[in-house]
Amino acid sequence: MQLCDHFFNPRNVGDADEPSFTGRSASLSCGALIRFSIQVDEGHSISQAKFRAAGCDVLVAAASMLTAQVEGMNTAEAAAIGQEPAVLSEQMGTENARCVELACNALLDAIREYSNTAREDWVGDEVLICTCFFVSERTIEREIQTRGLTSVAEVTRVCNAGGGCGSCHQLIQEILEANDLPR
Amino acid sequence: MIYLDNNATTRVAPEVLDTMHPYLGQLFGNPSSAHALGREMKRAVDQSREQVGSLIGAADVSEVVFTSCGSESDNWAIRGVLATRPDNKHIVTTLVEHEAVRNLCRLLENEGYEVTWLGVDHNGELNLDELRAALRPDTALVSTMLANNETGVLFPIEEIGRIVREASEALFHVDGVQAVGKIPIDLKSTAVDLFALSGHKLHAPQGIGALYIRNGISLPSWIIGGGQEQGRRAGTSAVPNIVGLGAACKLALVDDGHARIETLRNRLEDEILKSIPNARLNGAADRSKRLPNTSNISFAYVDGQNILMHLDHAGICVSTGSACHSTTHESSPTLRAMNVPYPVAQGSIRFSVGRFNTEAEIETTLSVLPEIIAKLAAMSPYQEELMSGRAVSQN
Repeated sequence: MQLCDHFFNPRNVGDADEPSFTGRSASLSCGALIRFSIQVDEGHSISQAKFRAAGCDVLVAAASMLTAQVEGMNTAEAAAIGQEPAVLSEQMGTENARCVELACNALLDAIREYSNTAREDWVGDEVLICTCFFVSERTIEREIQTRGLTSVAEVTRVCNAGGGCGSCHQLIQEILEANDLPR
Repeated sequence: MIYLDNNATTRVAPEVLDTMHPYLGQLFGNPSSAHALGREMKRAVDQSREQVGSLIGAADVSEVVFTSCGSESDNWAIRGVLATRPDNKHIVTTLVEHEAVRNLCRLLENEGYEVTWLGVDHNGELNLDELRAALRPDTALVSTMLANNETGVLFPIEEIGRIVREASEALFHVDGVQAVGKIPIDLKSTAVDLFALSGHKLHAPQGIGALYIRNGISLPSWIIGGGQEQGRRAGTSAVPNIVGLGAACKLALVDDGHARIETLRNRLEDEILKSIPNARLNGAADRSKRLPNTSNISFAYVDGQNILMHLDHAGICVSTGSACHSTTHESSPTLRAMNVPYPVAQGSIRFSVGRFNTEAEIETTLSVLPEIIAKLAAMSPYQEELMSGRAVSQN
């Protein structure tokens, strides 16, 4: 029912107002293409979510539902939705998991673009690593050292860093390697 | 409802239904029975066989054998020829065949056969020099369609047959399913050995097909059992369906509606190509090289399944080459073989007109379609993304 409604009356079609962050996802097997654009306010909340898509009914409906769901959320909350295409599939009552995942990937891609920019633009005493959960390099280092953490998953479990859009996984890995001192 | 999907299946014609009706009632006998009722059934089956033979121009009525569908006819023809030529392990076919032929040939590759897959050009047409070059002393079979189900593009089976005869010992099988009832066919003057057809494409019911087997060619029995169909395919004759197929063949032969169908198709095609931006015809622009009822048109940068569903919502039935199900997820093999680019192929819609369509229906379709395409085109990111040349993450 939701699928039908969102397919025939898709919400939030278009492009978010500038400055916006854009994510893309495509399928080489069927040629489907989706673009997700978000605007994020100073409180890290998604103030605008828009999409454009050329793909099947499931892709269009999934994208429409995602835009409606993530508007007003912070990036960590929105990323959590994007990480769970199975939940969205169930809400939609579709077995076409691939196209739902395509929509989720575009959302995550947009959040990552925001995160990468926000990290670079960050001016503070400490270097910011995880922009979704707002975790600094120093916090991550401290956790690694005091608890002897060895993987990104462990870091995420302990301090949430890397638990959102995932754009900082490589950075956390580098911190892990730099702190992998002989004990 | 406006039904523009006549290549998928057709409505049973009233004349056909009327002919069938007694055979679903008081004329219930078995044509193999010796009594009067059985004999009457046999006469009906024989008459249908003649009607089918007339429509396809068979030299002899015994060349027509009834089957359950087009796919069965294709399977029998191909398997049958290969069984009679165990030492010849080479098959020539095309990349744009219907699944009944394409998937069987893929399977045969796993069974030790070598298959030469002939490609097509951007118009969907074969290169006959390639065909000639593909033929070998050990080629058992050449199998091509007469009319492509998606684009309506016609293959020149007279010429193909001539080449097959000249340059090989192979037998020539034609999948004629999509062509029968739409264009004139005369098998007695064509070098075709086997020819498959299906009733439901020409206003007979579903569940009835036929295979033409040229006199002199002996295929192993397809179903072992009683002596039906001259011992070639056992199983009690499906008399109501057989009678329906005969009536449909007669109708196709005497009916003067073909020109009208072509006029409707031309109106639809011309107006769409003229008035809708980024609409392109898939298949030869020269209409003499296509079925008179089919238009396969791509609306570039928008999704065919989306168009289909919006048209469906408006009560208009069409089909698309870009199916997206939970299991299959790819664009049409025919359009891929024609080298139609992805963003164009995915927006393909097949309109196939039939005898029950009216001018008013075509005009309604033409009035609904532009808005749907405009809405979907506005939603599509394709053109901008292509112009910006951006890479996209793949899934």
